[in-house]
Amino acid sequence: MAEAELAERRHEAAYNDRVMFGFWVYLMTDLLMFTVLFAVYAVLHGNTAGGPAGRELFSQPLALAETLILLTSSFTAGLGMIAARRGRKQQVLLWFGITFALGLAFLSLELREFAEFVREGHTLSTSAFLSSFFVLVGTHGLHITSGLLWMAATLFFVVKRGLNAPLVRKLTLLSLFWHFLDIVWIFIFTVVYLMAFV
Amino acid sequence: MSSTEQTTKREHGTTASYIAGFVLSVAFTIIPYYLVTRHVVSGLPLLATILGFAVLQMIVQIVFFLHLGREKSPHWQLSFFVATAGIIFVVVAGSLWIMHNLHANMAAEASKKLVNGEAIYQIGGEKTGACQEARANHQVIIRDGSVSPLHIEAQLCDTLTLINEDDMARVIAFGPHDHHATYAGEAELVLGKGRGKTITLSESGTYRFHDHLHEQTAGIFTVAPQ
Amino acid sequence: MKELLLGRLDWHALPHEWFTIGGTIGFILLPLLALAVLIRIRGWKWLWGEWLTSVDPKRIGIMYFIVAGFMLLRGGLDALMVWLQQAMAAGTAHGYLGATHGYLSADHFQQIFTAHGNIMVFFVAMGFVFGLINYIVPLQIGARDLASPFLNTLGFWLYVGGVVMVNMFFGLGGEYAATGWLAIAPLSESQFSPGVGVDYWIWSLQISGIGTTLGAINFIMTIIKMRAPGMTIWKMPAFTWASLCSMIMAMTVFPLLTATLFLLFFDRYLGTHFFTTMGGGDPMMYTNLIWMWGHPEVYILVLPAFGAFTEIVSTFSRKRIASYMSNVLGMIGVSAFALSVWLHHFFTMGAGADVNAFFGVMTMFIAIPTSVLIFTWVATMYKGRIRFTTPMLWFLGFIAVFTIGGMAGVVLAVPPADFQLHNSLFLVAHFHSNVIGGVLFGIFAALSYWFPKITGIRLNERIGRYAFVCWMVGFCLSFIPMYILGIMGATRRLDHYDASTGWQPFYILMLVGGIVIATGVALQLVQIMASFMQKRRLGDTTGDPWDGRTLEWATASPPQSYNFTVIPEAPTRDAFWEMKQRGLPKRTYEDIHVPKNTAAGIYIAAFAFLACFGFVWEITWLVIVSIIGVLAVFVARTFDDHTEHTLTAEEVRRLESERKQRDEAARKQKDTLTPLNIKGAEDMGLLEFARTVLAFGWDVLKNKRWRRWQKQS
Repeated sequence: MAEAELAERRHEAAYNDRVMFGFWVYLMTDLLMFTVLFAVYAVLHGNTAGGPAGRELFSQPLALAETLILLTSSFTAGLGMIAARRGRKQQVLLWFGITFALGLAFLSLELREFAEFVREGHTLSTSAFLSSFFVLVGTHGLHITSGLLWMAATLFFVVKRGLNAPLVRKLTLLSLFWHFLDIVWIFIFTVVYLMAFV
Repeated sequence: MSSTEQTTKREHGTTASYIAGFVLSVAFTIIPYYLVTRHVVSGLPLLATILGFAVLQMIVQIVFFLHLGREKSPHWQLSFFVATAGIIFVVVAGSLWIMHNLHANMAAEASKKLVNGEAIYQIGGEKTGACQEARANHQVIIRDGSVSPLHIEAQLCDTLTLINEDDMARVIAFGPHDHHATYAGEAELVLGKGRGKTITLSESGTYRFHDHLHEQTAGIFTVAPQ
Repeated sequence: MKELLLGRLDWHALPHEWFTIGGTIGFILLPLLALAVLIRIRGWKWLWGEWLTSVDPKRIGIMYFIVAGFMLLRGGLDALMVWLQQAMAAGTAHGYLGATHGYLSADHFQQIFTAHGNIMVFFVAMGFVFGLINYIVPLQIGARDLASPFLNTLGFWLYVGGVVMVNMFFGLGGEYAATGWLAIAPLSESQFSPGVGVDYWIWSLQISGIGTTLGAINFIMTIIKMRAPGMTIWKMPAFTWASLCSMIMAMTVFPLLTATLFLLFFDRYLGTHFFTTMGGGDPMMYTNLIWMWGHPEVYILVLPAFGAFTEIVSTFSRKRIASYMSNVLGMIGVSAFALSVWLHHFFTMGAGADVNAFFGVMTMFIAIPTSVLIFTWVATMYKGRIRFTTPMLWFLGFIAVFTIGGMAGVVLAVPPADFQLHNSLFLVAHFHSNVIGGVLFGIFAALSYWFPKITGIRLNERIGRYAFVCWMVGFCLSFIPMYILGIMGATRRLDHYDASTGWQPFYILMLVGGIVIATGVALQLVQIMASFMQKRRLGDTTGDPWDGRTLEWATASPPQSYNFTVIPEAPTRDAFWEMKQRGLPKRTYEDIHVPKNTAAGIYIAAFAFLACFGFVWEITWLVIVSIIGVLAVFVARTFDDHTEHTLTAEEVRRLESERKQRDEAARKQKDTLTPLNIKGAEDMGLLEFARTVLAFGWDVLKNKRWRRWQKQS
């Protein structure tokens, strides 16, 4: 029976390896999709069509706060992964719970910013600059939302089924996704919020 | 089991590595933030610096959070990432170069010539500055190196025809000989032997023109506004 | 209230013109009827359980072929309609069917050539390529399945969603995009294309494009991680290499298309200003982005054809490929360069000389790795013992046609020349030479080469030769005049022209060529039918009818669902050839993990399709419900931990021995006559085919055989 168990474990390990690699390839495709949005922003950010430019709209402290919140959530997700690999179910729920809360805080700050712009009459149909701003930052926000939904579903199953191998694998992929979103945000922070004031 | 834990540690990182990554990332966020808000530097150097910090922070997070480069050989994930980075560069740099080039070549001056030549006086409701229809025509004859009449008085949206009746080609440019200007998008008018060319006078003011090959052959036209 | 429920849908959307009615009957009702007949004969459970929910890449591959083949007929019909219009519409000739010139109105004509381009590129070529990679690559690398069977079925059904969407407008909406196959802005903006046509265009491409991206990820995962032990990356068969390069390109550029289509969608729906003429938008950015995808796309299509040709030339010259490394590096070179040339599609858009020169030079560079490939093929044939089977004929046709197209491409790569020839018929002839000569002939060659593996039946060589001749003659009649017309000044996409240009004779010649090509296609269908009719004679029970070199020939024809009983060791190139020299390994059995069938792919794709439909017609509640549906099924599937079942070694042994017995019985029956009394030791010819079909038809009608026939199967 030991031989069969070894074969099973090898089958699992090979499967995990494949899935990790495949998810990484998917992240590359997502990165390329974001690249188009960045390229469009870079080309069109000066076309304000008589409306406001980034310099007049963006709040630097808000951008810094969002960045630090997301960065911290990426860190806590990493701590959650260490706990997952050690099989510590309570710690997993704790750290990923904090990650979830921070992600939610990030989203709410972003939505408040959007709502404020819209209230002042600066919508995505005002100018090419605003279109590219809303779509670039909004797409990132949509990805964060998907990540949060994924996190909620996974944590739900962790509570229900306990921390089994498939769930650890899912948490690994989720944390990859979450780190990747933080990396994209670094560039949004730099290219959108900081560059507006250069 | 111990070998799996070892690979785990090496490939997936320890608490210490996450803390190191976090601290570095915070630093690489705060520094460019302060550089921008405190206007320490400005312009292109500042842009290059903050982009540099962004790339640095990305590398920090890739190494400390994503643990790239620590998988056993062959390093597929690393290769795919490097290839993707290359393509991102091509997409962004290529787009910026191309779009900049297109705008430079299709910009106001160049399109002025186009809209004047085709009498496109409005696009989507916005006026282009071109003339809707031509009015009077003025003729200037260049013979034996002299221009007659020397001074043309015209109204906005008249047309001016320059005719070269000499036995050599002439290249008519605007402005003084050492510092050419453009008029209504036109930079140069090449007049072959016995040929003429017509331009629409869509800009008001007084303008000189001369044969770039023989600068003594010169004239003036004044365009009175509506 | 009605708007809330149905968005922009109303009675006017139903078909009420001759072409929308015709299209609805031909492309919506007829396929549904065929499906209904199939269900009646074989049963819904069979269709659902054996085919639709299957995750076996072999089954999915065959389904891709069927759908792509169907779309080939539609795309070809579009081409014939275009040719007919152009042959008719010279000058002030009388118009028919309500059109001013020819028989098609200008708007309708524009929709036809737009649909033709989209269908051929996205649904025919991509469909066949994905079918081939699905079927052949796992067999070649010694794998049982793709890395993710679920993503495979999901990708296929998303593709089907795109196919349905591109046919659906006949029944609902009545218009397709009239913008050219890439819907360049600002013509595709809502200001200039306010109807649903462009929306159908966006979503059919978007949904199948996402399927392609998922498929690309899956294929890459498979090729990188699931090769047989000993098969390093430099020992893989050429077709697998070509698929890897193609899929890496696909994974790279399809996200660009996805993003660009979303941006156009936002412009149309949310009033953003990405590519509009006002508000700071920049239409030229659309052209830039779309061609960044568009150029690599054609290389994605042609690389698997190159790979197939390498296998075919090597097998039918009975020689190892002349230089494996040159061949592979050539493919890699083509892929690398493909990503740096896209501006050559818009040299005339106003870039300066420096930009144009750079991209012109890069474009000319691609000729180098492509020539390396051609030289390796020719060198392989040199001093080989060549058998001129149908696949080899298609290869020879490819060499001629593709090279002409390639040379025309190098001419177009020179910016000053391109200023004369851009958007002329010269350009159209160039890319058709490359796509037909390269992609389509490659697909035909690959399908005839691997047909015995897929069905266990060799294709009828005689009718195959007739079909090839029709294609070659038809192609020359259609496209050589097109090159000439292009240089004479004819632009593309003309629905009418002045008779004084003297172009009409050329257009008529092109129409005749098109009819000859259509005959070729008909002969190919006849070829398939004739091959099945002579099943006993043409059947292959060895699994290796061509004396092949790569691992797929080591399996039965068609292979068992699990491909190999034991994953083979493959430490050399041309692994199967080496095995045959050294003696085939002894057969052993072990437990096999088999993925279960799943309907999750169908459900997710169905919900995605409904969301896209909701977007087209602005039915908000449908969009929201469908997106929730997609997420729900996706979560349910990914959190399902029991997606495989195990086939024990005993069961495998039993299946293998059953198969062996069936093959033995088939071998014994090989020389007896079939119930339909087919005579002759050679492959069936056309007359014999006609006689057989008529006799069969008469028999069925006279004796009302359909009742008994149904029970027999």
